[in-house]
Amino acid sequence: MTGPDPAAVFLQEARDLLETLEQALLDLEQSPHDRDLVDSAFRALHTIKGSGAMFGFDDVAAFVHEFETAFDRVRVGDVPPSPGLIAVALSAKDHVHRLIEEPDTHVPAGEPILVALRDIFDAAGWKTEQADAFAEMPAATASGPQGWRVVFRLPEDGLAHGTDPVLLLDELRQLGDCEISVRTDQVPSLDEIDPEVCYFVWDVTLTTDQSREAIEDVFMFIRDDMELSIEPVAEETPAAEENTAETEAVAEAGDAGVAQGAAPKKKAADGATEKSSSSMRVPAERLDELMDRVGELVIAQARLSQIATASNDLNLKAVAEELERLSSGLRDTTMGIRMVPIGTLFGRFRRLIFDLSRDLGKEIEFLTTGEETELDKTVIERLADPLVHIIRNAVDHGLEVPEQRKQVGKPAWGTVRLSAIHSGAEVAISIVDDGAGLDAERIRAKAVSAGLLAEDAHISDQELFQYIFHPGFSTAAEVTSLSGRGVGMDVVKRTMDALRGSIDVSSRPGEGTTVTLRLPLTLAIIDGMLVRVGGGRYSIPLSAVEECVELPSTAEVESKGRNFLNIRGSLVPFLRMRELFNVEAPKELHQKVVVVSAGEFRVGLVVDQIIGNSQTVIKSLSRFHADVETFSGATILGDGTVALILDVGHLVSFGQTFENRLRAENAGRAA
Amino acid sequence: MSKTILTIDDSASVRQMIALTLSGAGYQVIEACDGADGFQKATSNPVNAVITDLNMPVMNGIEFIRKYRGDPSSTGVPVIFLTTESADDLKRQAKEAGATGWITKPFNQDQLLAVIRKVVGA
Amino acid sequence: MTEVNDMHDADAAMKALTVGLQGEIFAIEAESVREILDVVPITEVPNARAFVGGLINVRGRVVPLADLRVMFGMDRPPPNTDTRIVVIEIELDGEPTILAVLADKVHDVTDIEAVSVEEAPKVGMRWRQEFVRGIGKRGDDFIIIPDMGRIFGENGGAGQALTSEERFD
Repeated sequence: MTGPDPAAVFLQEARDLLETLEQALLDLEQSPHDRDLVDSAFRALHTIKGSGAMFGFDDVAAFVHEFETAFDRVRVGDVPPSPGLIAVALSAKDHVHRLIEEPDTHVPAGEPILVALRDIFDAAGWKTEQADAFAEMPAATASGPQGWRVVFRLPEDGLAHGTDPVLLLDELRQLGDCEISVRTDQVPSLDEIDPEVCYFVWDVTLTTDQSREAIEDVFMFIRDDMELSIEPVAEETPAAEENTAETEAVAEAGDAGVAQGAAPKKKAADGATEKSSSSMRVPAERLDELMDRVGELVIAQARLSQIATASNDLNLKAVAEELERLSSGLRDTTMGIRMVPIGTLFGRFRRLIFDLSRDLGKEIEFLTTGEETELDKTVIERLADPLVHIIRNAVDHGLEVPEQRKQVGKPAWGTVRLSAIHSGAEVAISIVDDGAGLDAERIRAKAVSAGLLAEDAHISDQELFQYIFHPGFSTAAEVTSLSGRGVGMDVVKRTMDALRGSIDVSSRPGEGTTVTLRLPLTLAIIDGMLVRVGGGRYSIPLSAVEECVELPSTAEVESKGRNFLNIRGSLVPFLRMRELFNVEAPKELHQKVVVVSAGEFRVGLVVDQIIGNSQTVIKSLSRFHADVETFSGATILGDGTVALILDVGHLVSFGQTFENRLRAENAGRAA
Repeated sequence: MSKTILTIDDSASVRQMIALTLSGAGYQVIEACDGADGFQKATSNPVNAVITDLNMPVMNGIEFIRKYRGDPSSTGVPVIFLTTESADDLKRQAKEAGATGWITKPFNQDQLLAVIRKVVGA
Repeated sequence: MTEVNDMHDADAAMKALTVGLQGEIFAIEAESVREILDVVPITEVPNARAFVGGLINVRGRVVPLADLRVMFGMDRPPPNTDTRIVVIEIELDGEPTILAVLADKVHDVTDIEAVSVEEAPKVGMRWRQEFVRGIGKRGDDFIIIPDMGRIFGENGGAGQALTSEERFD
């Protein structure tokens, strides 16, 4: 059995348990009477203590032991989980976290926390009890060799419950010289025998220098239920030879039984690998590696498919199809492994809200929805910091203090709502507060004074709000209250760019602010639609494709001013990719339009040819192409050439501004 | 002929420590993460002993032993439970339900092996 | 991984791959060269800067293809049978980066004695002085030692990445 270092496993596990503990504590604040929560918190403590001691984290074990002892009063119902208790318990949890992460640095902060914990319990009429859970096993007191007569009979259910008398006898033999005899007088007649009951009584004369306790220890597991007498013998009692022989026979039978039990070893080993129903921890790098391999496989498969398509060999075609199906399945499974519900992330913010609420004296109701929404693990991890930042901002600058809220007729408590939802190929995560809203004028003034915006520039609020993500852009108030963290909203923007996501901000004065992060579902492999524009081939994420239509010949000859398609009654703006990409090669007679959507907006992309669908392994573009926003990445086609992947979100928003500008122009012309 | 021991614990680190210790001593080890998982594995594999935690989600150790002892395949199979407190009440409950013995946490590898040898032999 | 900026000092010779670009000889530190390829299909990146206008597939990896001739204000005739692609790995802002460089011709691997390397003259040079780390001499030939770190760091870095907002208009 090999595997990662158990201590490392313990560390990871302890982190998870502390997380569980924190969640349980926070939940308890909401529902103090929930027994399951108390049990869950207690169990977490319990396990940390137990394994902490085993893996040498003695400080952790000792501290958690006291923590647990105190918390046990909550479990047995002596002390209610008051908010004060939860606050102390949370700081105790933080302390354990520090002890685990930095075991070498002695953190003296533990004692005051324990004192605070004890104070709470003492106030509840309970005297702290300093039970020592780590009492050593009773030490055997040695004395000179002595004779003992040990007579025992197993409890009725002893055999059935797994007590093996042969092993007990072996253990006695290890203590010293034994003379063993068996009394069979209690064995009933054959038709009355219960095969699971042991009717023998053993009579052992043991000469040992061990104490009586050591002998009792042999029977430690059964002594409460068994017949056992241990008497010192004054003089030697000779034992009957034949009885000893009988015991040996029993012993052999016992061995045979055990051997039989262990015989189907192969099957047992199968059972060990059969752990699929339980979860298993895998280092993230291995998942990344797996994903890379699958990516290579998909590319190789695409090559094979291309060869097969060009070939007349039916067998080859069949194999290629089979392989395509398999690799597509493998891809989905692999990506599925990487998908994690975003709820794992949401949980962390409850603590943040709890702390912010205390620090800032604001009452906050924190609501979450869509915890089950799944996202690539890498994406989720990288979202943590941006979300912390946005939430902090919402609470710190968005929500007003209770008095202020009452003055404007709002409830005293502010609400922060965190939600996640799938929409098309994206996941949208919204942070909504019902605070004062963004001050558009102030942002505008700041943008102008920072030289980012012309004084007379005419831009929508939504565009204006984007400036809050500009590096170094923050209002004075923000600088002071967030300086401790040393990060600005530009971190949010940068992370989202790196994840190929986008940020929308909308806000109404007095009503609150909504920040929506839109993220692609995965960073690894997507289904793509391959199209041709001029001599170049491009992949469009299939999940964003709504439909494909032929570009009407009327639109073909239209002037630039009317780049709209009428698709079943709704006007869809379209972009001529040839123009966008400065293609000079002659165009196809019949151009196609791929209608793509992002969020609620749609845009048509006019291409020369639709080649077909294929699995697209996303390779990110280097820093040298970070400035080309039309592409979210590149992929390698079956013939080995590189194709660019269109950034649908960007194209759609480009289509929107295009549309807006045209409208503005038309309005201008009409006026 | 090595013996197979099922270890049931919701703590992966404890399971791993047990597995390492026992496999190092020549036993085969099967792992399960809670009582329900343990029951399934205990009844579908020939096991020579079971080591189970008491306090677990889904199905705790007491519930596990009760259920397991209700299954004929458990006859003669020692069940050792792990416990941190020396709470006699729990011990009694576990014993009544058919536990063979117990190990008090924290335990070290020698203590674990001593108990295992005690109930299943080397 | 090669530290390009770390010029070998007077005591050491520089092992370099010499390539021809429009009649001039350029030296690329041999240690940074990963492989030399014949011309492969190049995927044009619409609206990218001409200097890094393409992408190629190098063993399953999408690698940006740079054309140093743009940086040095040279003519850019289409590839011919002599044209090669030199794949290099250099460290940019502390990150190892793989990129490919187009060469009109690959000459050979040579030792450039440090003593024969002079600093790029401040005047009398057609190209931007900061892109040239030094001029070496071999016989009667001058060998230009480009400063890859500067060429790719400045122009490939975030510094100029923000200037493309207007590209669609």
